[in-house]
Amino acid sequence: MKFAVIVFPGSNCDHDTYYAVKNVLGMEAELVWHKDTSLHGADVVVLPGGFAHGDYLRTGSIACFSPIMTEVKRFAEAGHPVIGICNGFQILLEAGLLPGAMLRNRSLKFQCEQVFVRVEQVDTPFTVACQQAQVLRIPIAHGEGNYYAEPEVVECLEANRQVLFRYTTPAGVVMPGANPNGSVNAIAGLCNVTRNVVGLMPHPERSCEDIVGSAEGLVIFKSVVQAVTNGLQDSGSIEPLLGR
Amino acid sequence: MRARVYVTLKSSVFDPQGTTVAEALHTLGYQMVSSVRQGKYFELEIDAATEDETRKIASEVSDKLLANPVIESYRIEVGTGATS
Repeated sequence: MKFAVIVFPGSNCDHDTYYAVKNVLGMEAELVWHKDTSLHGADVVVLPGGFAHGDYLRTGSIACFSPIMTEVKRFAEAGHPVIGICNGFQILLEAGLLPGAMLRNRSLKFQCEQVFVRVEQVDTPFTVACQQAQVLRIPIAHGEGNYYAEPEVVECLEANRQVLFRYTTPAGVVMPGANPNGSVNAIAGLCNVTRNVVGLMPHPERSCEDIVGSAEGLVIFKSVVQAVTNGLQDSGSIEPLLGR
Repeated sequence: MRARVYVTLKSSVFDPQGTTVAEALHTLGYQMVSSVRQGKYFELEIDAATEDETRKIASEVSDKLLANPVIESYRIEVGTGATS
């Protein structure tokens, strides 16, 4: 199984992701430059964290016009698994592959810390190996992770069970003090309607080995290996979301 | 022709930067400033013959790139005059 890790000018978690996939998970991985127009036969695409194009204009806004994104969109629309981590999540939002947008953190600070997220759904390729309501200790590192969508879009996300990760206490309780950035409904990660495109702000690739403080992010990569190996399940029909 | 594009967060979207600026102004003694909304300003030089054409292009690029319709709205001014 092969992972393509997209490299934008300004990506800085590309090598961490490559390392996690190749050295920890033992899968094939390839760094793919953003001006490339082929995913080189990958089974999984990862948009890594960083500051693509310097975060100019808005986070992710320039990256979504990079040549490789045409291929990433085609790959996603064909139902293959795509995950955007941190800046990668922001790119997926700007590209319209996931609904909503990111605002500056409520604190206006760049938040770099370990957080706890509760796994809300286990029927997606990136959560299938998780336990329902499992709490993962994974770091965040972002200035703009305050997830926002119009109230009716958020309602749709909840009704469609598209919220995959929520910021919680270590015991898995949602409360204001456990929400590091002000995200609506404490949303840390979500998927699209067809459940194959996932975005999350925390960095699972930075928590794949005990030596770095936590190996609890590895289950997200293990999930997609399991999902691709077993063949992606059709999640059935869900009413399309409003807006983008 | 020159188009000026003002991009701001929609009124329904909380603006943490604007709020912080307002609080700083209150600290400076400007209690009369009741609200601040922060935004972005763009000046576009566009090769177009008419104001309508200029506005049309400015509007297109605002929709496609300058503003994110999920959280932002924009206003366009078109003219040939210099900015002050």
